[in-house]
Amino acid sequence: MEIYLPLAEMTVPAEAVMALGTGVGFLSGMFGVGGGFLTTPLLIFMGVPSAIAVGTQANQLVASSLSGVLGHWRRGNVDIKMALVMLTGSVFGSLIGVFLFKLMQHVGQIDFIIPFLYVVILSLMGGSMFWDSIKGLIWKKGPQKRSKAFYKTSILRYMPYRMKFPRSRLYISALLPAGIGFIGGILVAVLGIGGGFLMVPAMIYVLGMPILLVAGTSLLQIMLSSIVTTIMHAMANQSVDLVLAAFLIVGGVIGAQFGVRVGKHVKGIYARLILSAIFILISVRLGMQLFIEPSSLYEIEVML
Amino acid sequence: MKKIIFFTIAALACFIMSQNAYAQHSMHIDVSEKQVGINTGFTGASFSVFGTTAHAGDIAIAIYGPPKDTTVRHKGQFLGMWMNKDSLSFYNVPAYYDIALSIPASQISDYETLLDNYIGLDSLEFRYRGRKSNEDKAARFREALIHNKQLAGHYPLAPRNIEFITEKFFRADFHVPSDVPTGRYSIKGFIFEDGVLTAQSAVSFDVAQVGLSARVFRFAYADSFIYSLLAIFMALIAGAGAHYTLRRD
Repeated sequence: MEIYLPLAEMTVPAEAVMALGTGVGFLSGMFGVGGGFLTTPLLIFMGVPSAIAVGTQANQLVASSLSGVLGHWRRGNVDIKMALVMLTGSVFGSLIGVFLFKLMQHVGQIDFIIPFLYVVILSLMGGSMFWDSIKGLIWKKGPQKRSKAFYKTSILRYMPYRMKFPRSRLYISALLPAGIGFIGGILVAVLGIGGGFLMVPAMIYVLGMPILLVAGTSLLQIMLSSIVTTIMHAMANQSVDLVLAAFLIVGGVIGAQFGVRVGKHVKGIYARLILSAIFILISVRLGMQLFIEPSSLYEIEVML
Repeated sequence: MKKIIFFTIAALACFIMSQNAYAQHSMHIDVSEKQVGINTGFTGASFSVFGTTAHAGDIAIAIYGPPKDTTVRHKGQFLGMWMNKDSLSFYNVPAYYDIALSIPASQISDYETLLDNYIGLDSLEFRYRGRKSNEDKAARFREALIHNKQLAGHYPLAPRNIEFITEKFFRADFHVPSDVPTGRYSIKGFIFEDGVLTAQSAVSFDVAQVGLSARVFRFAYADSFIYSLLAIFMALIAGAGAHYTLRRD
């Protein structure tokens, strides 16, 4: 069945979009990842304009991060104050991200830069995860005990605007979580990904947050910041396609049901190994596209 | 059904006009759909252009989509990666163009006359920003523009046929693909007798989103804030739904 996307002004096969949503939902149910890294490039690959892909993906991120955050919330593993402080940073990050996005579109490089950034980020992340899980498999060790958080041993502890975060038992400069949120905000706005993979380690190693609270708090901040980004994309670029979003979200809900059930039977270390393999495969696929000579050296863009 | 009624009316019109003294040199065309509606299930549309003439002659019908500024980009290699390196923007490029001829273009009239009447892809004028000295580049980019438009089905690879139902009553069938640009399309019909343009007629139709599709589109542009809240609300419901249906542990 073909479905017409009113804002993309094009037709896509509904089954493919549903399958994409379901696949991503499966992964997010199984691994607890947002899945933007998969949706955005694949939508672009299907011919959806990159602006619509990223804007709509920000909207779908609201759904997947909410279902994640609710689970952590029930167990009380969310530091709301921390998420809100991070949000202030991510609002600025999103604003700059939406602007950067427009700038890249204007100079006509959006279809190069977005896949390029994906290749860099996914290969670094996939590579390091892969290496970690291989090490874990060989030496049968859990994640190493880290030494003191980075902020305690560096000049970061002298930064101003110190604030108490009772839930995390931290007394640190508010600029640190805001700065992490800022980077997350840029990632949501430019790439349509939550950026949990970057924020989670930063919250552990830079802020020194209790590991138990990190996942829930980063998910809450991703949800809030993708809400803000959805509003900005919809208002600045009209790039949130409701029809596309509905298909992705419904597929995602269905996929998550299976993902969670399968995930219960997969050991954490194997799950990480599979996930890192997926990251590497996608980055290779996107990377090849950058290097292979395109079938047509010319492309046209009709301005609205 | 619509088409049958149309045929009857057109045939009547044909009859009346043939009685008319003014019809010495004249032709009239009309289109089967005054509006091509794009809804959620849109996969492209077919429509027909009908026409009558007072005299037998050679007919050309051209369809021009709404003019849009169009940028052509040329890819080159940077550190082995393919990216856009050069670009040229053309102004008022018809977003869609198609043509139907009753006999091959070369037999209708001389090349100049056809160009003057915007018949054929060669006649499309693309103005661009840039220096005059860049005409080489402009020609290359213009060709690429036409080629890409042809691949997308927005420009014709070959003219369509005009079918004569009677000697003075003709029709041509057109098809637009699903990603056809929205806007007003104008259709012009020309009749040539021995290579001389003797009459012409124009009509137009609209391509627009209708139904749910149109509502979503208008909503997104007119009330973008409320629209975004609706999108978020939908996502929140789905996210919460996913969580509570999974909560079995």
